[in-house]
Amino acid sequence: MFSRDPAASGPLEERSVIGFRHVDLVYSDQTALADVSFTVTNGEFLCITGPSGAGKSSVLRLIAMDAFPTKGEVIVRGQLASRMNRRKVPRLRREIGFVFQDFRLLEDRDVFDNVAFAQLVVGIKSNQITKNVMRVLTQVGLWNKRHRLPRELSGGEQQRVAIARAMVNSPKILLADEPTGNLDPETAQEIIGLLFRINDAGTCVIFSTHDHGIVRTFGERVIVVRDGKLVSDEKRRGAVDRKATITDHMYRAPAPGRQEKVHA
Amino acid sequence: MLRSAQLQYLLKESFAGFHRRKLTTGVTILIMGSSLLVLAVLTLATLNLALALERARTGIDIRVFLQEGLTQTARADLQPRLVSIPGVSGVTYISPEMALHEFSGTLGQDADLLEMLDGNPLPPSYHLQLTVEARNLDTVRAIRDEVAGWAEVEEIVFHQDWIDALERWTFRFQLASMIVGLIVFVAAVFVISNTVKLTMAASARVIQIQKLVGATNAFIRTPFLAEGALQGFLAGSLAMGLLAVAGVLLEGRLGGVVFFAPGQIAGFIGFCVLLGLIGSWSAMRKYLTLRSDL
Ligand SMILES: Nc1ncnc2c1ncn2[C@@H]1O[C@H](COP(=O)(O)OP(=O)(O)OP(=O)(O)O)[C@@H](O)[C@H]1O
Ligand SMILES: [Mg+2]
Repeated sequence: MFSRDPAASGPLEERSVIGFRHVDLVYSDQTALADVSFTVTNGEFLCITGPSGAGKSSVLRLIAMDAFPTKGEVIVRGQLASRMNRRKVPRLRREIGFVFQDFRLLEDRDVFDNVAFAQLVVGIKSNQITKNVMRVLTQVGLWNKRHRLPRELSGGEQQRVAIARAMVNSPKILLADEPTGNLDPETAQEIIGLLFRINDAGTCVIFSTHDHGIVRTFGERVIVVRDGKLVSDEKRRGAVDRKATITDHMYRAPAPGRQEKVHA
Repeated sequence: MLRSAQLQYLLKESFAGFHRRKLTTGVTILIMGSSLLVLAVLTLATLNLALALERARTGIDIRVFLQEGLTQTARADLQPRLVSIPGVSGVTYISPEMALHEFSGTLGQDADLLEMLDGNPLPPSYHLQLTVEARNLDTVRAIRDEVAGWAEVEEIVFHQDWIDALERWTFRFQLASMIVGLIVFVAAVFVISNTVKLTMAASARVIQIQKLVGATNAFIRTPFLAEGALQGFLAGSLAMGLLAVAGVLLEGRLGGVVFFAPGQIAGFIGFCVLLGLIGSWSAMRKYLTLRSDL
C-alpha cells in the first residue's frame, strides 16, 4: 500500500490513468454531468469539490464504471468505458479502492473480517489474507482493535477500517467520496493525512468534498464542478505541507514488506 | 478458480438464509413439499394408467366371426386377405369346436349346461393379432370398418368400451398432470423466489460491498442459487417421503399400483432442484446489474 508504484514516473501520456473526454451523464431525466473533460496522471492527488448535487459523486461513479457516460468517453487504466465488456468490470474494480462518507462496513463482522472480506471475495489464499490484512490494519493503526465490531469504534476509526479495506487489494486508484463528511475537523485531518500517505506510496487518490476548509488546506490539484459542469481545474503545487499533516505517530507502521500480487 | 477460503465462505453463506429465517424457510419447504406431493400423486396416477393402457393394448383382441355355411376354401381364402391388412401381424383360425371348448373353459363348473345344447351354436372365427403400432382405437376401428364390409363376415367384436375409457382417462390424467405441474411450477418458483428475495434484501449491504471490491456476479450469485436449490431439494424429498409413507399405509388397498422407480424419484427431485434454481435466479435478476450504488 505504501510502496512506490514504478509506473508513477513514466512519460505523461502513459502515466494518465483516468481520462474524461466531453462526458455527459444523464440519469433518467436529470443531467448530472455536461461536457466534462480532464485527465488524471498516475500518482496524482486530486480533490473534486463543488456544492451539493453538483456531480462530484457522479464523476467517481463513472471512474468506477458504476455508471456509464451518456455521451463522450471515460478511460480508466487504458480501458474505454463504452467498449468495456461488462463482465470485466469486476476485474477493473479490483484495481480501484472505494471509501464513502458513511463507511459502509459490515456491522455483523469485526474489523479483521471486514477487511479480509475484500480479499476473500476476489479469491486470495487464506494465509495470504491474514498477512495482507495485518499489513493494512497496522498501517492504519488498528491492528490492536481487529476484534472490535464497527459500532465499537469511533467514526474516524471506522473510516480507517474502510480505508484499510479499500487498500488491502493494493489498488492503483483510491476513490473517496466525502470521506470526511461525517467526521469532526480534527479526525478529518487525520483521514486526509492517511490519504496523503497512501498517495506518497504511489496510489492515485481522488477524493470529493464540499468542505471549503479542507479544499483550502489540503487541495493540491482541485477540480470544481457546479451544475454538472467543470468550472475550474487548478494545480496548487507546493501549497500543502504534507509532512505537517502526516504527523500522527499512529501511522508509523513498520516498513511494508513485499506486496502480494492481488490478482492474476 | 475458487480457493478453499472462498468455498468455505460460499458454503456458509448458502446456509445463512436457512439459519436466519428458520420459520420462513420451514414454511416454504412445507408449502412447496405439499404442492409437489399433489404433482407426484398425479404423475403416479398417470404412470399407472399408462401402464394399464399398455397392458390392455397388448391384450387387444379382434375377433372376426364368419357367416355360417362357408366352404373350406372360402374360409381359407380369407386368411391371407386378413393378414394383408395393415396393422395385422397374425391370424389364428378358431373352429366352432375350439370356440366351444374355450367357452366351456370359461364356464367352469357350469360347463354341464352345454350338454343340454343340441349341436354347436358358436360360429367359426378368425382371431387377429395386431402389431404394436396398431394397438390403438383408431387403427382397430379402421380394421373393423374394412373387414365389416366383407360378405363372408358376420360380425366383428373387440373390447372397445374398455380401451376407449382407459384412453380417455389416461389423456385426462396427462392433461391434469400437465396443468397441475404448470401451476406447481409457477407457485414453487414464486415461493422460492420470495424467500431468496428476503435473503437478498437482508444481504443487500454485503452484495453492495462485494460489488465494490470486485466480486464477479457469478460469485455473488452462488450462495443464493445454492439456497434455492437446497430448498427445492428438501421440498422434493419431502413430497417423495410423504408419498412413500402414504404408499406403505395404503399398501393393502392399492394392489397393483406401481410406485416410482429409483431413477424416477431422482428425476423428480432433480426437477425440484431445478425449480429452486429458477426461483432464486428470478429473485436475483435485479441484482445482476453491475451497479453498486456508490
Ligand atoms: N440515481 C440517480 N438518478 C437520478 N438522478 C440522480 C441519481 N444520482 C444522482 N442524481 C442527480 O445527479 C445530480 C448529481 O448528483 P451527484 O450525486 O453526482 O452530486 P454530488 O455533487 O455528489 O452531491 P452531494 O454533495 O450532495 O453528494 C444531482 O442533481 C442528483 O440529483
Ligand atoms: Mg455525492
